[in-house]
Amino acid sequence: MGILVFISVLLVAACGLIYELVAGTLASYLVGDSVFQFSTIIGTYLFAMGIGSALSRYIHGGLANRFVWIELLLGVIGGFSSALLMLAFAFTQGFELILYALVMVMGVLVGLEIPLLMRMVRDRYEFRDVIAHVLTFDYLGALGASLLFPILLVPRLGLVRSAMLFGLINAGVALWSTFLFVDQLSATRGLRLACLVVLCALGTGMAEAQQITATAEDNIYADEIIFARDTHYQHLVLTRFKDDLRLFLNSHLQFSSRDEYRYHEALVHPGLAAVPAPRRVLILGGGDGLAVREILKYPLVESITVVDLDPEMTRIFSSNPMLTKLNDKSLLSPRVHVINADAFPWVDGNADSFDFIVIDFPDPTNYSLGKLYTTAFYRAVSRHLSAQGFLVVQSTSPMFARDSFWCIAETLKQAGLETHPYHVYVPSFGEWGFVLAGRHEYKPPTSLPASLRFVSVDGLPALFQFPPDMAPLPMPANQLNSQVLVRTYENDWKDISH
Amino acid sequence: MKLARRKFLGLGSAALAGLFLKGDKRIEGSFVNDSFPRGHLLRGRAGFPAGKRVEKIPVVIVGGGIAGLSAAWRLRKRGFSDFVLLEMSSQPGGNARWGQNEITAYPWAAHYVPVPGPQAAYVRELFEDLGVLKNGQWEERYLAFSPQERLFLYGRWQEGLEPVIGLTPKDRDQFERLENLFREFRQSGSFTVPVELGLSSKFQDLDGISFSDWLRQQGCDSRLLNWYMNYACRDDYGALARDTSAWAGVHYFSSRPPEEKGPLTWPEGNGWITRRLLERVGGNIRTSQMVHRITETRRGASVFAEETEFQAQFVIFAAPTFLAPYLLEDFPPLHDFVYSPWLTANLTLDRYPESRGAEPSWDTVFLDSPTLGYVDAMHQSLRTHVDRTVWTFYWALAEGAPAENRQLLLEKNWAYWKEAILHDLERVHTDIRQCVSRIDILRMGHAMIRPAVGSIFSEERRRLRRRNGRILFANSDLSGISIFEEAQYHGVEAAQKVLGRLHG
Repeated sequence: MGILVFISVLLVAACGLIYELVAGTLASYLVGDSVFQFSTIIGTYLFAMGIGSALSRYIHGGLANRFVWIELLLGVIGGFSSALLMLAFAFTQGFELILYALVMVMGVLVGLEIPLLMRMVRDRYEFRDVIAHVLTFDYLGALGASLLFPILLVPRLGLVRSAMLFGLINAGVALWSTFLFVDQLSATRGLRLACLVVLCALGTGMAEAQQITATAEDNIYADEIIFARDTHYQHLVLTRFKDDLRLFLNSHLQFSSRDEYRYHEALVHPGLAAVPAPRRVLILGGGDGLAVREILKYPLVESITVVDLDPEMTRIFSSNPMLTKLNDKSLLSPRVHVINADAFPWVDGNADSFDFIVIDFPDPTNYSLGKLYTTAFYRAVSRHLSAQGFLVVQSTSPMFARDSFWCIAETLKQAGLETHPYHVYVPSFGEWGFVLAGRHEYKPPTSLPASLRFVSVDGLPALFQFPPDMAPLPMPANQLNSQVLVRTYENDWKDISH
Repeated sequence: MKLARRKFLGLGSAALAGLFLKGDKRIEGSFVNDSFPRGHLLRGRAGFPAGKRVEKIPVVIVGGGIAGLSAAWRLRKRGFSDFVLLEMSSQPGGNARWGQNEITAYPWAAHYVPVPGPQAAYVRELFEDLGVLKNGQWEERYLAFSPQERLFLYGRWQEGLEPVIGLTPKDRDQFERLENLFREFRQSGSFTVPVELGLSSKFQDLDGISFSDWLRQQGCDSRLLNWYMNYACRDDYGALARDTSAWAGVHYFSSRPPEEKGPLTWPEGNGWITRRLLERVGGNIRTSQMVHRITETRRGASVFAEETEFQAQFVIFAAPTFLAPYLLEDFPPLHDFVYSPWLTANLTLDRYPESRGAEPSWDTVFLDSPTLGYVDAMHQSLRTHVDRTVWTFYWALAEGAPAENRQLLLEKNWAYWKEAILHDLERVHTDIRQCVSRIDILRMGHAMIRPAVGSIFSEERRRLRRRNGRILFANSDLSGISIFEEAQYHGVEAAQKVLGRLHG
């Protein structure tokens, strides 16, 4: 009998510690700043345990019944805590509120356990033995849990199922207690029934945990994920909602199939249609083949060279039926040559000349990408530009990142080019900007390929007009040794999000 | 963030599990390019073979560091190619040597040159020659890419090396006061690069006390400020502030305009300059030539290297000056030439360590570390995606006497230094042992001249600079400050003197 009671203490202590560890690990993973998360969660938890212990003095009579209920409650709350927190993070704005509320409730319940247990067994042992034994097993349980958690539970079960497993143990202790303390209990049958219900619920939870994780994940990317891959270079996610395909690179939206034609028509046609008899075109970035699709509308173009870092990206956009439908199998055209290389060294090491150059990189979110928006880079690229040629640069939003947009324009200017900035509205992006640049005057084209859905000869001049809220700002050029653009871009978006 | 989150949700916590599975990686490496054995032959005055062959050549340059290479550059540029440059080691470059592996080229010692001011005319001329300076513009890809420097202090990263976080008002006040003092020194025009152009007895008193004493006299007792001043002295002079002449300490901060452009640098550091110079003068260089005796005659000088006697009209002695008493007959022992011992290591990294909150920088320094931190060779790469890299780790053994530290360099084995280096890095990069696959270590007993107290205005040094005769000295040792510009200046000056006297 004695040892069985103390094993209960050990299990109960282990459960308490596991819930705390689950909360700390999840919070530091999802929110970041692990030192802060662990400190505040442990602090809150211990404080709540203190409240629980203090509250225990107000519980008179029916100790065993109360104990069984507390165990059941803890089994349910603790067991589902991990799943609940993941869903809260994915679906609500109040993750922190729910996190600390949960930690408080679990702490109070755990704080009640040991005082109640001590009082339940105090008649069976001497007081000093009760203290010694209960605390010994309490600490042993904590040790066991703290070792099991990182070595076995997290790697083998994951956080959701680890919490549920210990919920099951809590509920098991409850059921066990109905036999252990049967002489102190009333309405024993009802209690056992409740225990079975909780055990079943948690058992089902264990079995369905995978689904819970998947649901939460799906909601972080709002739509159904049809493809996700970590390539050597980036994290590539393709989502679909009804007929809308979206590509995310490192969680930045690259296009939405509903309106990408606006972006890609605007990227290509104002410049390319203005080049007399374009034969050779270069695309830097743009492994999705969507700009290529637009360029293929020019029968005079003999060769299109696509330089994209990521072979996985160009492979998927050459082979996945959904994606090749979107880009009209453009990457498979015999006129297209795909080269998987880092753009700057490639540009440096190549001597070919091109009539039109499309520079379509992700926004300058870090110092690595920032190198591809510098005077040094544009100088190197412009050496490949034929006498009549133009180059065009995707230049982020002149509305949301106005400083950045004009910084890119200034950078092109200081690289020795004449610039012609323009902008379009792409619903999934908002106002978006491009800078067309060359060594000579630009006259908007008077004819365009047939069947364009957005760019038109009549509409073109308006694209080059900037209303006051997007008007030019004096900005320094971006250079390798200053990287002002990355800092500017960060500030631009910070201003938007606050 | 979202990427990471998703991975996490998907994989449970494989990453956490990984923590328990990782064992230490095997780390290869060795000492490289040791010059001890050959140098110690000289010290021991070992018997060298008598000259079996005689070669007559108008000019011999001894030493293929920046000074010797610059003398050669000047000679060739003036259309004079009737000379040889003798280099003891198999690879020229001296403190501007470099290495190369399958990932990148990397420096073995000096790794940058500050953007030269108008007074450094020879440096500017060289850089125009090498395409670094074009139409008054510095080539962007040779300026250190941003972010340039970061300092790890109080468990955090900051941009720049001068501490800016955790300063008390007192610290701030002292930094500001010093900055004002340095500005005045700068405006005096006496602290120049090259040193010789501005050197004025007006500030000779500064050379009579140590930099740390001078700082104390200025009421500067801030811990952070003193750390930074000591860092500067260790970095440029291989010495602590208390072993550095106050004149040199002031020179470090007052000789250049506060430069925004950032220094000029290359993946292989100043090795890039060496390579370009070798393209221009390589034909005149003979490597693995151990010069063991130089004698002055009435009409010239003879240089004995290996089994050859080179009979020259002029010799430009561009090897470290401390070798002069061993090589030149009747050369008095030197007193004012103290050298700092250094250790540099090149670490091959198969991946970058995790470092949250840190921007990938060119130069990384840890507060309160006895070492000088490291420079990332791939930082100057034009690539956007970099997996592997080489870090050059710098360690001036400044604490204690140079002779004792030289002994330490000799006695301790590779494994000892490897552990010491990893230990230092581990304080900040906890997973460094999982990243590094190779550590090569270069030991330099006499890495650089030290501007010790009294050395800048030393009579000995002045005599050497003014030396007239068949053997001309050319080395940064003549300035007392071991920087690229000084070495280049004295190399070019010596070459011009020789040309003048040959033709005059």
